[in-house]
Amino acid sequence: MRVPSIPAADFLPLVPAIILLVGACVLLMTEVFLRSPSRGYQAPLSLFFTGLAGAVSLSSAFEPARPVFQGFAAQDPFSSAVTLVVCVALGLAVLTSSGFLRSRNAERGEFYALMLFAASGMSLLAMSTELITLFINIEVLSVGTYALTSYLRRGTRPAEAGFKYFILGAFSSAILLYGAALLYGATGSTKLSEMAVVLPAALAAQPALVYAGALLVAGGFAFKVAAVPFHMWTPDVYEGAPTPVTALMSAGVKAAAFAAMIRVFLVLGKGMDPSVPLALFSGLAYLTMIVGNLLALPQRNVKRMLAYSSIGHAGYLLVGVAALFVTAEAPAGDGFRFFGATPLLAPGLSEVAARADALKGLLFYLLAYTVTTVGSFGVLAALERSEDEPKGTAWDLDRFAGLAQRRPGWAFAMAVFMLSLGGVPPTVGFMGKLLIFRSAVDTGLVGLAVVGVLTSAAAIYYYLRVVVAMYMRPAPEDERIPVTLSWGTELALALSALAVVVLGILPGTVTDWLQQASTLWLGQ
Amino acid sequence: MEPSPLAPYLPLAVALLLAGVLAVAVMLLASVLGPRRPSAVKSLAFEAGNEPVGSARQRFAVKFYVVALLFIVFDVEAVFLYPWAVNFQQLGWFGYAEMAVFAATLVVGLIYVWKKGALEWEH
Repeated sequence: MRVPSIPAADFLPLVPAIILLVGACVLLMTEVFLRSPSRGYQAPLSLFFTGLAGAVSLSSAFEPARPVFQGFAAQDPFSSAVTLVVCVALGLAVLTSSGFLRSRNAERGEFYALMLFAASGMSLLAMSTELITLFINIEVLSVGTYALTSYLRRGTRPAEAGFKYFILGAFSSAILLYGAALLYGATGSTKLSEMAVVLPAALAAQPALVYAGALLVAGGFAFKVAAVPFHMWTPDVYEGAPTPVTALMSAGVKAAAFAAMIRVFLVLGKGMDPSVPLALFSGLAYLTMIVGNLLALPQRNVKRMLAYSSIGHAGYLLVGVAALFVTAEAPAGDGFRFFGATPLLAPGLSEVAARADALKGLLFYLLAYTVTTVGSFGVLAALERSEDEPKGTAWDLDRFAGLAQRRPGWAFAMAVFMLSLGGVPPTVGFMGKLLIFRSAVDTGLVGLAVVGVLTSAAAIYYYLRVVVAMYMRPAPEDERIPVTLSWGTELALALSALAVVVLGILPGTVTDWLQQASTLWLGQ
Repeated sequence: MEPSPLAPYLPLAVALLLAGVLAVAVMLLASVLGPRRPSAVKSLAFEAGNEPVGSARQRFAVKFYVVALLFIVFDVEAVFLYPWAVNFQQLGWFGYAEMAVFAATLVVGLIYVWKKGALEWEH
């Protein structure tokens, strides 16, 4: 028998995920062994492990890409950037969790442990370069979030959300697995690096098998990132889950799933006619932007509105993904046209440079969306009262009426987040949209950019409705603000609002860093 | 003509076919040749030897579920431990360390459920 030899250096890229796993185990053990009823130490402990994992992934961000574990995973600037985004989302979600859970008498180590377990899955998913490893990590992150969704077992809503998420999530995992099996059948390998070599021959021999596999895999990913037409679960699950968990799902799960999708399709797209992934992701992007934003328009429930808005934002991210597949030559055939414009690189732009631009836009948008969305769910978590949850009025727009007089700090933070989600300068949401749409225009995807700008303009309506309620409507007489004041929530809101404004005005440092990381990754 | 890539699966298809034919044949023969002397007890729904009483959709205590879950966890552990034990010599210290990490993770889980009281049947 040949014993596999794994160099010790291969374990280094796993350190952030290992830190998160150790943190989860420590929280489980302290939960059962510390008999004290006070659990105030749990959030700071989780923050410590999250910060440590984030710091380690930041420190390795500029190491050149290298495969580890014989091509099952890879350490590269891309995975480090995604892990960092996941750690930011996790840290902010943990901060908002402590006050939220304490006011419901539900602060337990299991909650933080599940969050850390799920985050380790997200971090590993961003590194996976082999279909089975990728699938297992999707399951790790999913199982954690399934359990977290129905963590607060009060009323029927969390049960419905958890059950729906579990059934539909398992179904989408099965679709993804079916696609992976077809791709394996066509190429004879599950490693992306080996598939890249065999793919041209496999496409010539069995094109139907490859395309069917790629479509099924894309469907599985589209479910995880909540792209239309695979978005049906999103509003119910986001509404039923505890609000800090919704924040982690909408930021962390999305970032990790996008990372895996980009990794897989950069390999698959290289072998096939570029117009196929281009059409696939452009189509998904059109549908997701339009349907997500239109469905958000009539929502009076702010949590559902944010859920639909999260679908819309997946659409903007898909524009960036589509821009990754534009090539220097016009695609073969009758010319693949969108709104009269043929996707073609702008003159003087090399293929690698265009892809690096698109990738930089995607990563920046993920970071921008993370700080903004986790912040806005943080305000929601601070405002909602648990006794309103069964009635479904806990997140009604009326809850925001007159917030500016009663809690000016929260109202200001929420206004900043809403403007950022709507893409109004000088917030980070504007910079993110600017980068994505510019890369769409540079690659000739003018139609996508136009629809993106139009739907963003429509979205301003429902985002500003919250601001109008907070600043221009009087507070109801009998309305009392819940006293769920906690240092964690306040800190999370302050940090995210600060990040939204500072990154919106001075994005230079981060965009330079992401540009460097993207070029470093794609240049090889 | 090039042999079909499915050719190696032909024996499998034959086995499947035989299994189907055999099952149908046995049931047919039993119903044709077997004597029939029905009684009240024999016509009852078969429920593992128990007397079938009440609705089939009764609810079970959640502790059965916990035990089933724990069983699967340690069942899977055994699945990994056996091949590891067989190849212990070749795998050496690296394999030992890997399995120690794996077992330690499961032990953390076991300590957790133990302290949580999930192993107490009378609760």
